[in-house]
Amino acid sequence: MSTAQLSTEQAPPISVPFRFFALAPLFLTLAALILANGGDFNDIHTPVMLAALHGITLGFMALVMLGAIQQILPVVIGSTMPATRLVAWFSFLPVTLGTLSLCGGLLLGEPRFLNLAAWLLGAGFLTFIVAAMISLQRAAARNTTRTALFLSVLALTGAMALGMLLAHGHASGETLDYGGLAALHMGLGLGGWVMLLIAGVSFQVVPMFQLTPNYPQWMSAGLTQAIFAALLLYVSGYLLKAWPLARIGEGLFWLLSGSFAVVTLRLQHKRRRRVADATLSFFRLGMASLLCAAAFRLTSWWVADSEWLTTLAVLTFVLGFALSVIHGMLYKIVPFLVWFHLFRGGVTKGVPNMKEIIPESWMWRHWWLHLCTLLAVGLAMFWNTAFWLAIFGLAAQGLLLGAGIYTGITVYRRILARQEVAAP
Amino acid sequence: MSKIAEYLGSDHQRCDVAFADAEAAALSGDWDTAQTAFTAFQNDMAKHFRMEEEILFPALLAANGPSGPVQVMRMEHAQMNDLLDQLADALQARSHSFGGIAETLLIVMQQHNLKEEQILYPIADRLLESACDEIIARMQAI
Repeated sequence: MSTAQLSTEQAPPISVPFRFFALAPLFLTLAALILANGGDFNDIHTPVMLAALHGITLGFMALVMLGAIQQILPVVIGSTMPATRLVAWFSFLPVTLGTLSLCGGLLLGEPRFLNLAAWLLGAGFLTFIVAAMISLQRAAARNTTRTALFLSVLALTGAMALGMLLAHGHASGETLDYGGLAALHMGLGLGGWVMLLIAGVSFQVVPMFQLTPNYPQWMSAGLTQAIFAALLLYVSGYLLKAWPLARIGEGLFWLLSGSFAVVTLRLQHKRRRRVADATLSFFRLGMASLLCAAAFRLTSWWVADSEWLTTLAVLTFVLGFALSVIHGMLYKIVPFLVWFHLFRGGVTKGVPNMKEIIPESWMWRHWWLHLCTLLAVGLAMFWNTAFWLAIFGLAAQGLLLGAGIYTGITVYRRILARQEVAAP
Repeated sequence: MSKIAEYLGSDHQRCDVAFADAEAAALSGDWDTAQTAFTAFQNDMAKHFRMEEEILFPALLAANGPSGPVQVMRMEHAQMNDLLDQLADALQARSHSFGGIAETLLIVMQQHNLKEEQILYPIADRLLESACDEIIARMQAI
């Protein structure tokens, strides 16, 4: 690329990521309310469980990730999204409305909602995918994170197409291999989009922000490509009905992802910065959960009647791994963006530091709540009371995180307003 | 070749170590050690900024390098200097606000380093390939 196009400015405007971050936590609480109406952690394929899980994966995880990617692209690859505000609106609104429509369609068994959801989610994600690909193509940096982001967005495209197909299939009652398609949809969505994105960004973020040694060269140079290849094996095995191939692909995926978790935990153990940090603890809990998810799934292959272990692996991956990392990332990025945009907006006096925007004690309270929720989810398969504790924990986490982000927005607005009054 | 990236990248790591030492001492209430470590950190940062602002950036611009990103890097140096001043005040007052300001500086510093190491330094290595040794020698002399 020409260096004239290079952008290291921390665009976009604060409103772009914050609209995603502000709404997303409410979907955690919504998912908890859905679970309270007939959810069952022993079977994640019921309409109620599908609605709740999509509330979490689309409403919470995808919204946060879409917002965060717009923010981190200039930093990690030196390239902004084209037409930032437009892309934000045309991905934020359709994904939000599509998620609500999907949850409604699944809960009510209403085909019109399912069809509407498929088109809205397709449109929202496609807007993001096209913009992200343009940004990646323009990128100044040719680093491993760029490759990981590219593969991650490619996996998202596959997951989105399969999701649309499944939603239309359920709406029309068409005969499809729902089990097989759902497995591929989940593999590409969670194993591809989520895993590759987190791994690719971690290669830069973990050493720099947590002051750890660098990832070993063999891992940062080849892990995301190897995971993507494992996923291709998995998908090919399913499409060709070559089950050993699918199993080899999935086995490789878990081994590679597990090794990423082990290496990350070891690096964090060797970190130079030894002060207590809630966001680091969220990240470490996420890595421990990823390791547990891999262990649950691989063990399920050697144990009879092991469907519950597979379900536990999925729940641990989503709620333990992905949610922990996202919570940690939000508690770092939200206070920083408030501080940064106030400073850049010319406010010279009275800008609070990051710990004054969202207090550390707030984050620790959330960390403990999150840990208890995860333990309750694990126990819920055997003990009904734990199911209700898990629902309560999830609902409370949505409210706690939402209040934290709302506090950040309030601080930003209050200080900006004070500045405007002081300098009319 | 990535001579400039390697030289300035390892200088970033030197600053990181000095930062971590100062922060750990201050947060454990060992203010005297914190003052010594912070002074070393402040000196490291000042030297790093001078190497970039007095030597690297002018050389990069003279070789038709990207002016926008250089301007952004300069602006971020000013942000960090402001935070360093705040940290010095907090240290003087032995204030608990040191932790929050240090956290803020760390994020500003690291996202800045990320942009330099991933984007700006590789461009500098490419555009200034023939003058790399001379530029590094001038930076070392500061």
